[in-house]
Amino acid sequence: MSTAPKVGVFLCECGDKIKGNVDMGLLAQKVVETPDVAFCKTMPYPCLKPGIAGIKKAIADAGLDRIVIAGCSRRLMMKKFENEMKDSGLDVGQIAMVNLRDHVALVHPGLEPAQRAEKGVKLIRSSVADLAAMVPGLRFQISIEKPVLIMGDGIATYAAAQQFARHGVESIMALSLDDEEEIRLLHERYPGERQNFGRVRNIMKAVEESPLVQRITVGDPIAKNGKTGNYSVSFENPEGGAPIAVEAGLIMACLDGEMESPGPEFGHNGDSVICQSEADEHLWTVGPYKGNVVFWINDVEAGTPEFAHLSMRGAWSLGRAMVERSDKCNVTIFHNQDTPLPLSAEERRISRKLGIQWVAYDGKICPTVQARNLTYLVKDDGLERELPWDQLILSPVRVVGRHAIDVASLLNLDHKEGRFLRAYHAQVRPENVGRKEAILAGSAAYPCDLSQALAQGRRAAIKVAETIDLSKDGKLFSPAIVSVIDLEKCIGCGQCEELCECGAIQVVEGIGGAFGRAVDPLICTGGGTGAAACPEQAMYLQNASTIQREAAAGALAKELAPGEVAAFGCTWGGYAAADNVAKSGLAMDPRLHMIYVPCVGQIDATVMAKALLDGANGVILFGCVPEECHHSYGVDHGWSRVNMLKKLLALAGFDRKRIALAHADFNNPEGFVKTVEGYTEIIAGMEPIERSPQNLEKLHAIYDTTKNSRVRLLLSAALRRPWESVYRGAQRHALEYDQEFAGVLAEEFAQTRLTRALKAQGEPQTIKDLAVHLDADKDYIAEMLMEMASEGKVNMIHKQRKAHFMV
Amino acid sequence: MLKFRINDIDVEAEPGWTVLETAREYGIEIPTLCFHEAVQASGACRLCMVELREGDWTKLVASCVYPAKDGLNVYTESERITNVRRWIFEMLLSECPASQEIRDMAAKYGVTSTRFAIKDPEQDCIMCGLCTRVCAEVVGVHAIATQSRGVYKRIGSPFMKPNEACVACGSCVSVCPTGAMARRIDLVRGKMEENQTNAA
Repeated sequence: MSTAPKVGVFLCECGDKIKGNVDMGLLAQKVVETPDVAFCKTMPYPCLKPGIAGIKKAIADAGLDRIVIAGCSRRLMMKKFENEMKDSGLDVGQIAMVNLRDHVALVHPGLEPAQRAEKGVKLIRSSVADLAAMVPGLRFQISIEKPVLIMGDGIATYAAAQQFARHGVESIMALSLDDEEEIRLLHERYPGERQNFGRVRNIMKAVEESPLVQRITVGDPIAKNGKTGNYSVSFENPEGGAPIAVEAGLIMACLDGEMESPGPEFGHNGDSVICQSEADEHLWTVGPYKGNVVFWINDVEAGTPEFAHLSMRGAWSLGRAMVERSDKCNVTIFHNQDTPLPLSAEERRISRKLGIQWVAYDGKICPTVQARNLTYLVKDDGLERELPWDQLILSPVRVVGRHAIDVASLLNLDHKEGRFLRAYHAQVRPENVGRKEAILAGSAAYPCDLSQALAQGRRAAIKVAETIDLSKDGKLFSPAIVSVIDLEKCIGCGQCEELCECGAIQVVEGIGGAFGRAVDPLICTGGGTGAAACPEQAMYLQNASTIQREAAAGALAKELAPGEVAAFGCTWGGYAAADNVAKSGLAMDPRLHMIYVPCVGQIDATVMAKALLDGANGVILFGCVPEECHHSYGVDHGWSRVNMLKKLLALAGFDRKRIALAHADFNNPEGFVKTVEGYTEIIAGMEPIERSPQNLEKLHAIYDTTKNSRVRLLLSAALRRPWESVYRGAQRHALEYDQEFAGVLAEEFAQTRLTRALKAQGEPQTIKDLAVHLDADKDYIAEMLMEMASEGKVNMIHKQRKAHFMV
Repeated sequence: MLKFRINDIDVEAEPGWTVLETAREYGIEIPTLCFHEAVQASGACRLCMVELREGDWTKLVASCVYPAKDGLNVYTESERITNVRRWIFEMLLSECPASQEIRDMAAKYGVTSTRFAIKDPEQDCIMCGLCTRVCAEVVGVHAIATQSRGVYKRIGSPFMKPNEACVACGSCVSVCPTGAMARRIDLVRGKMEENQTNAA
């Protein structure tokens, strides 16, 4: 970008709320003096139609290409400004907001209006610096011309393919089974659904006749390459020989869950005590059982009460089929009293006519399976009763099978041990998610019955078809804020692929082989997890980059007085809590200056180091409450980075408390205010860092160390992965890792200092000179220098029989 | 450009602006409860009523939704308006007596008690629907909505259970004019882990 950025700042008076508390004249005057500010205007309400018209006019007249609105909560107002400014040529990322009202005007009763203006200026300057450092990245246009690949063998495949055919979208079904085998497997995956098989056959027939649906028979999937619009997937060849490669524009997964038999604790023996899927097979291959058939809906006792209704439906339709086929069979459905009957009025009538018994038991005491009898209690009755059985049929245990997990992990779908598959883990606003359609259907996503699985397939197909329609019209664009990988810098370490919670990192074939080195901009949620963790800083979040964050942190730090604190607040926890302080009628310590970030996990360690380097005496990160991060584990990532900074501070001889991580809940402003007070008191109680040349040298070295790729790789490798359910501190070898890491940090920090010193001196130095210069132990320096010399990082020469070192 | 008068001051507005927006642009404050800049105005609380005079005729309109027009003659603080606002505050006090915010606002107009029957002394929500509008328009999800009708109407998530759609952004809490949502949000957001396993 050759032209200098032109930032416009709009100051909101918010009626009397800001104007009455802040010296607006002083504020405007100071803002105008800020570098890069091309325009500044005070307005009564920038957010109302007259105000928006005024902003638009200023953008056109002054040629502004980025704006800061200093008013109130960005969580509430940003969307409106983004929508309104679209036709003025400003995209998402080119608008920033400073919460002047809730972070300054209304929460500092102890300050004078002029002092409040001073604080406002600091926040605005930080925001201006952020925007000015932005290199605008364009939205990518995405075209999808290749057909949709449906894989995973789920029964929803057929429904999805049928739906695609209706929409005129080409699709490829990659299946490893033929139609009859699929149907035969249904009893295992959807027991008691025999009455619906006709429907499935009709769909299969329609799909077979459609010219838009192509069917291929494949083995297990091997690899997936590419991103939206241009995927290639290879499968094993079931007949042997070369793998089958399929080109696709989009991939959809249809995965069925599997059923396992319950354990022996419920008496399962595969003969007289079986589970529903076994009963289903027996019914259709051998025939109905004779005598007392009892379906025990034992889901509540098995710990999965949420699936009891599915088991009840299964029992009902199996039981009904048995009674209708044999008069020697008495069916009883035995269920927990807390599970409501899932029958319609008509079904109840049929049930009564067929004489199917529904027995509800009290779950306080787990029914006991005995030979030919079940012992149970009824509500409000202490009497133990017995239910005789000849054949006992238990609820199946619903699990995600190995095959489904393999396909899901190939498609980067989130999976946690013991949980069902979910397309998106992140709990973020819809606009944060580029591709909104669910690309997953079937009971492996969440247990459901057959008709729901088919409906899911259809629904997913409809949404995929909508995306394809958008692409056909040339209207499919990526979000403005997405991660981008600079292939020149990428070394293919795979950290981003492992850390990304949305599965946006795609494997791409290229120099060095196939590895994760492309971001699918339609899947990326712009959380910035990967960018902050990249050891080589090869990945960046376009329009919200680390460089911008560093600029913001630096600009704020430069303005801070000795006792003041720089803070980063995440949109879900810290920043939101600060927004709500004024609303609760509370006051906040005015020494805290908060910068907005979408997630604490997005703040690179370099940003924290930059704040300390440029003048902050205390830096605090406000994230969400533990285990409630809206992305995957941003708070945990912040925790890891803060702890690294603490180690570096200690190495440099500064107080570790100068950086801290805190947790905040938006609905607990009282707690937030206390946390703020606690930390600002700690910082105010410390002497400020003397900005002497020695100290600045150390702070510079800390900053440089945070950019060191060895340090960053070790840090990234230990960050909590989206699939990990254990908090990092509770992991095995946590201490061992930390000690190792501390050692590496010490080494790299010392080497960074040496390199910096040698560069600064310009001429060869002796060990003694360097030890004096860095005020460090001579032996340690010697050891470091020898190691660096052996690695080729410094050159060793001999002058007057003494070793001299130079870069 | 439309020309009209507010409180005997000449004002100008573009077509599409409301009376309230024009007044605020000229620094004339009109009290509001259910109005928020982030969402469409709905005219639910009637606190922003203003008087329009035309010769001997006058009428009362909600300024947050009334479009600016040429030749209007608007009064925001006339005796009739003040009287109407006092009535509205009395009604609000009977509707949601537990809200400190409403009591404070009412006290500014000299209203400290109500002559209407208090149905529920614990009630703090005025049913303005600001939270549901923010959830739909700003956040883009529909995690909360009004439930039931008429006097049984209330705000909440479907079946008053923690809701998958809720992203726990707290926007509803921030816009709520009475602080009622702060006490209800945990019924909506629940615990994330539970939300995920409960999702069908």
